[in-house]
This record gives sequence, structure tokens and C-alpha cells, in this order.
Amino acid sequence: MSAEDVLFDMLHSEIVSYLVSKSAEDEDISILEHLGYSCGWRLIERITKELPRYKEELEILKFICTDFWSCVYKKQVDNLRTNHQGVYVLHDNEFRFFSKLSNGTQYLKSAPKYATFTCGLIRGALENFGISSIVTVEIIRMPSCKFHIQVLPSSS
Amino acid sequence: MTIYNIYIFDRMGTLLFHTNWNRLKQSGMSSEEEAKLMYGMLFSIKSFVSKISPLDPKRGFLCYKTNKYALHYYESLTGVKFILNTDISVKNVRDLLHQLYKEIYVEYVVKNTECTMGQPIESELFKLKLDLFIKQNMKSLQ
Repeated sequence: MSAEDVLFDMLHSEIVSYLVSKSAEDEDISILEHLGYSCGWRLIERITKELPRYKEELEILKFICTDFWSCVYKKQVDNLRTNHQGVYVLHDNEFRFFSKLSNGTQYLKSAPKYATFTCGLIRGALENFGISSIVTVEIIRMPSCKFHIQVLPSSS
Repeated sequence: MTIYNIYIFDRMGTLLFHTNWNRLKQSGMSSEEEAKLMYGMLFSIKSFVSKISPLDPKRGFLCYKTNKYALHYYESLTGVKFILNTDISVKNVRDLLHQLYKEIYVEYVVKNTECTMGQPIESELFKLKLDLFIKQNMKSLQ
């Protein structure tokens, strides 16, 4: 792992613990999510500047799972599932922010706060593709992690 | 070829971690007391070695041996101390301890924000990885 990866990991976990210690329990999540949202929004602009235009929703989701994920987490999403009605599940078997944390259910209670930024990241990225969504996370056993994406019907 | 036990202390002398593998004789005191005694002895040896050394000691205290076991000592630049007790036939323990510091301690303690610095290590993942590391490296020590 290179130096800048470590820096990102550490900065991320410091931001998490700072926000958690600073604000009340239900507030911290929204700030973190918003940070992720705006990062994702900007990041997607940068990554896609050389790419041809995607049209299909599924193609965009695939792009998130491959290129976008490997840009941020140095690996691809292991599994993408959909019900073809706007619900997608991204399954990462070794989520980067959990890989140093636990290999089971220890620290499970604090696990969601380490995934919140990523939820925002996905939501922001999709938003910039013109897809409004709600992203939630499900953690049963670390280091694996599932992101549920519910695409909202577009208003336009 | 046996590894008996390991102690990890931080710079302030707090016992961060301790585990036994093949220890046959118990010291007959509580583990906190034992840790204090251990740290005190190491502290004395270190200052003894640096005072009595006829030349610049450079790396300082490395290990000692009795007729039954050997104690190997590794200290990182930041003052984290690793103490590994083995039988006397074991070689290259310094490299092993350095590797353990680099690959296990830094990876699973320092990079885990749930582990508070200066507090005993509670991460199950760290314990698992340490155990695995020791078992995998048993052979390379002969």
C-alpha cells in the first residue's frame, strides 16, 4: 500500500472519529454522508472526462463498480445485483475501511460510521450522472459490506 | 524449536499485549505484576548496557539467554517494545520481530482507529494475525 493510500485511510478514519465525537449520534451520519456526496460528485467529473457518454442506468452502475471503485478503493466491487426495478446491491467482500478493523463481528456497532462516507460517495457519483438515489449500507460480518442503492424516479 | 510467549509494551511502559503459547512454568504472580517486573528489568538492562558498553552501543540491548530459554528484544524508533521468549536454538528473531512490528502491529493496531494508543490491544483481528504470523514463521527460525 502506497503512502497516499495510507494517508487517505487515516484522514478518513480521523474525520469519522472527529465527527462522531463532536456531534450527537444521529447528526454525525448526515455530515459524513454529505462529505462523501460532494466528493463523489466532483470525483466522477474527473474520472469520466475521457470516457464516452453512458446512457443506460445499468451501465453507469457497472462503471461505478469497476472504474470508480478501483479508483477509490484499488479493487472492484465483487458482486452487483439488481431487480431491474431500480434497486441495486453492491457487494464488496473486502471493504477497504474494514480490512484493518475486524474479521468478524467485533466493532460491528461502530462499523456503519466507517461506511457512511462511501454511501455518500456513491450517491454523489450517481447524482452527477443524473440519477437520484438513496444509498444505505448493510454490514453483517466484516470485512464484507453491502451497499443498497434505491434509484428514485427522475423528476424530469 | 519453541516460542513461549510475547509481550508488547509501549513507550510509557504500558503492557499493550501479552500471550502465551507453550509456557510450562508460571511465575506465580498476576500478569500485571509480571509485566511490571518484566518492564522494570528491561529498563534496567537497557541503561546498564548503554552505560557499561566500551563503544557506542548503537543498537543497544538485543537479547539474553539462560540455559533453558532466550529472551529477544526489539524496540521500534517510536519506543514500542517487543519481547519474545523462545528456546535457545532459535535464530534470526530480530528480523522476525521487525517484521512483526511492520506487518502486524502497524497494520492492525496503528491503522485501526478503534484501538486507542497507549491502551491494551483488544482487536480480535490483531490477535488472529499475530497467532497466524508466529505459526507461519516457526520454520524460518531454525
